[in-house]
Amino acid sequence: MSQDDSVRMKTAIRIENFNLYYDQFRALSDVNLEICERRVTAVIGPSGCGKSTLLRAINRMNDLIEKVRVEGQIFVDEAPVYGDHVDLVALRRKVGMVFQRPNPFPLSIFENVAFGLRLHFHSSPAERMERVQKSLEEVGLWEELRDRLGGFALNLSGEQQQRLCIARAIAVRPDIILMDEPCSALDPVATQRIEELIRFLKKDYTIVIVTHNMSQAARVSDETAYFYLGKLIEMGATQKIFTAPSKKETEDYITGKFG
Amino acid sequence: MERMQKQPVFFVWALILGLTLWALIFCPAQIQARSSAKHKCQTLQIKGSDTMVNLGQAWAEEFMRLHPTVHLAVTGGGSGTGIAAILAGTCDIAQSSRDLSQEEQESAKAANKIIMETPVAWDGIAVVVHTANPVSELTVKQLADIFTGTIQNWNEIGGNDLPILVLSRERNSGTHVFFLEHVLRGGNAKGTEEFAQTALMMPSSQSIVQEVETSEAAIGYVGVGYVTNRIKTIRVARDHNGPYLLPTLDAIQAGEYPIARPLLFLTLGESQGDIKSFIDFVLSPAGQEIVKALDFVPLEK
Amino acid sequence: MKSSRAYLNRIFEFVIEKAIFLAGILSIVFVFLIFLFLIKEGFSLFRTYSIFSFLFGTKWYPISSPPQFGIVPLLLGSVAVTLGAILIAVPLGIGSAIYIAEIAPRWLREILKATVEFLAAIPSIVLGFIGLVTLAPLVKKLFHLPTGLTALSGSIMLAFMAMPTIVSMMEDAFTAVPKSYREGALALGATRWEMIRRVLLPASASGMLAAIMLGIGRVIGETMAVLMITGNAARIPTGLTQPVRTMTATIAAEMGEAVQGGNHYFALFAIGIVLFIITFLINVTASFLVRSQRK
Repeated sequence: MSQDDSVRMKTAIRIENFNLYYDQFRALSDVNLEICERRVTAVIGPSGCGKSTLLRAINRMNDLIEKVRVEGQIFVDEAPVYGDHVDLVALRRKVGMVFQRPNPFPLSIFENVAFGLRLHFHSSPAERMERVQKSLEEVGLWEELRDRLGGFALNLSGEQQQRLCIARAIAVRPDIILMDEPCSALDPVATQRIEELIRFLKKDYTIVIVTHNMSQAARVSDETAYFYLGKLIEMGATQKIFTAPSKKETEDYITGKFG
Repeated sequence: MERMQKQPVFFVWALILGLTLWALIFCPAQIQARSSAKHKCQTLQIKGSDTMVNLGQAWAEEFMRLHPTVHLAVTGGGSGTGIAAILAGTCDIAQSSRDLSQEEQESAKAANKIIMETPVAWDGIAVVVHTANPVSELTVKQLADIFTGTIQNWNEIGGNDLPILVLSRERNSGTHVFFLEHVLRGGNAKGTEEFAQTALMMPSSQSIVQEVETSEAAIGYVGVGYVTNRIKTIRVARDHNGPYLLPTLDAIQAGEYPIARPLLFLTLGESQGDIKSFIDFVLSPAGQEIVKALDFVPLEK
Repeated sequence: MKSSRAYLNRIFEFVIEKAIFLAGILSIVFVFLIFLFLIKEGFSLFRTYSIFSFLFGTKWYPISSPPQFGIVPLLLGSVAVTLGAILIAVPLGIGSAIYIAEIAPRWLREILKATVEFLAAIPSIVLGFIGLVTLAPLVKKLFHLPTGLTALSGSIMLAFMAMPTIVSMMEDAFTAVPKSYREGALALGATRWEMIRRVLLPASASGMLAAIMLGIGRVIGETMAVLMITGNAARIPTGLTQPVRTMTATIAAEMGEAVQGGNHYFALFAIGIVLFIITFLINVTASFLVRSQRK
């Protein structure tokens, strides 16, 4: 059934024969996968399996690291991500990212959300205000913060900070949001609320979430990809992966035999 | 113990503030003890006028060659530094290119010390300008007006239309004090004339020479020993009746060149022992030969 | 036997502890004593000379009779040279700190850092001498001045001396900015320059200010180089191309000659107090800023 679904769905990200090396170390080997539009795709696997590397390959954040080399190609919206003429600014406007630890800039709440707007749009202050409000509403922060938009972002609670980071990412209307273990620094209650937010956001955005927390993957995602030692072991509908995985390794990991 | 720990503190002050008198401030007794210890190993400290430092060094080298058991250490710092040191007992002979000031005399009296002056040579002060400067003769009065800032342009005294750049030595220099009293104040010790506020205070005679070499607007004064052929020396007259003279050996010894001064050795009381034999050597024909060799003027022909 | 060794150990421990305590307390005592001494000697001037004429007098004629100890020209001389130096050193310092911390490849970064530190190790008198024979003639020629011994030459010279402080402190401030800020900005599609301007600089603002303050502290206290290169004319400057006399140069040039216990001597200590207060305020501001940066 999920197979049929994904056929009908439009592909947002296609990864083809992708290899990534840190100097001599091969962090990703021959990855082939497709991620569908407006769904939540979870990437799971034990630490060091390359799941974060894969995520950062999509918006080319790995470029920041020295001696990184890639082979193969990634397509976002059918446009290649790697190549000499790729516009990184445009790519990253299209592909937003939320990090493991909330990382609001040491600026005001308003300036944090408006940050990307100032980079990418020549909007009037009124338009900016409107967009900031909209983004904060979407992540459920507007009501509590509307009266202190000038406040220092780092004074917010961890959950509020992570919501703010999501608001910051969606303010520029990306197509895709990459989330790198977005709840690992949060308590269980905050985690639950962020998960709700993720499910809510999927109506507008394609979301790829890396998590080490399998129950989280099971709760939020539509599809799940299991990585081990830099290789994609299995990918499919989340329900199927967690109930009837087709590969032995996946089953071992899911059932907690290792990892 | 307490004392021992405090001493480095004062040393730090001395470094920070450029103080050479550090030890006097707190424990003069210790210093006295130390300087008498120096007598035993026969090191004589000679300190003071920068003008005289090379001369003192030349004398000391020759004297040490003749008397290998005596060691002489010659340092500069300015006449004021030397006078302060002799009053504090940190040197044995102060070299000075000027007399004691009123304040220094009072402080000597207060410390119950008698300072003996011995003239050891003459120094003529040359007034120097850039070689391209058309002005070549000035009276003492004109010099006074230039250095106090009354005359500000070379065209007021027959030169080009060019503001005058006045160069003076720093206030710790005996040359500065001598020039102030004998030129700016016309020999009147109670005068109130001062160098113009715009006058540059140069840290050394060498820097005055260097600045005069490169600036057509400059005028400065240095001991005759510093004059080179890359700068021009002005003929100076006591008044407009002349004669206008260069600071030559003859003119200075005859007492005709108006800006000449005796160079002095200052000692505490009547000198004895090595100090006396050194002064005797300096005054001997051999010592005065060295004066001439270093472009200063011997006491007599 | 065993207990006596334990006893010895305890005594040893006690002695070491006290010795370390003493060493720690001693530095405070030193600073306090220095300040006390400065105050004692400096304030002696005001027994016979009005503090008003000292602070607001415009003439510095310490060996005239009567002497005049107006420090306004000296204070303004120091301010002119310092301001000029900071105006030169800060933009250059920010630029090179950004380059070292953010842009240069690793091998070049190490070379540059070492070079900057080496610059700090050059004795100021050497820089002063180089400045005297190369910079002063250049300034004279470029600006058609009667002399190159001006506040400007001093400023350029001092800018070189302040640069190592400014660059290495700013570089520290930049390096202290968490990587996550940079990643956050880049992931939003900021170019490297936008990331530097919009995140790095605001995030390290207090550290940068602290670097500037310490640079000022370094410059205002510098003595030998300014003594050699600023001309030392004690007049109120109206521009950077004029000779000026700084407070430090005045103390250095005149201390040797001043009669101990005389008014001139006390006046130099009074200048010392003024300098002490200025550098103290600068350092307090700087450490306050550094602390607020850490928070």
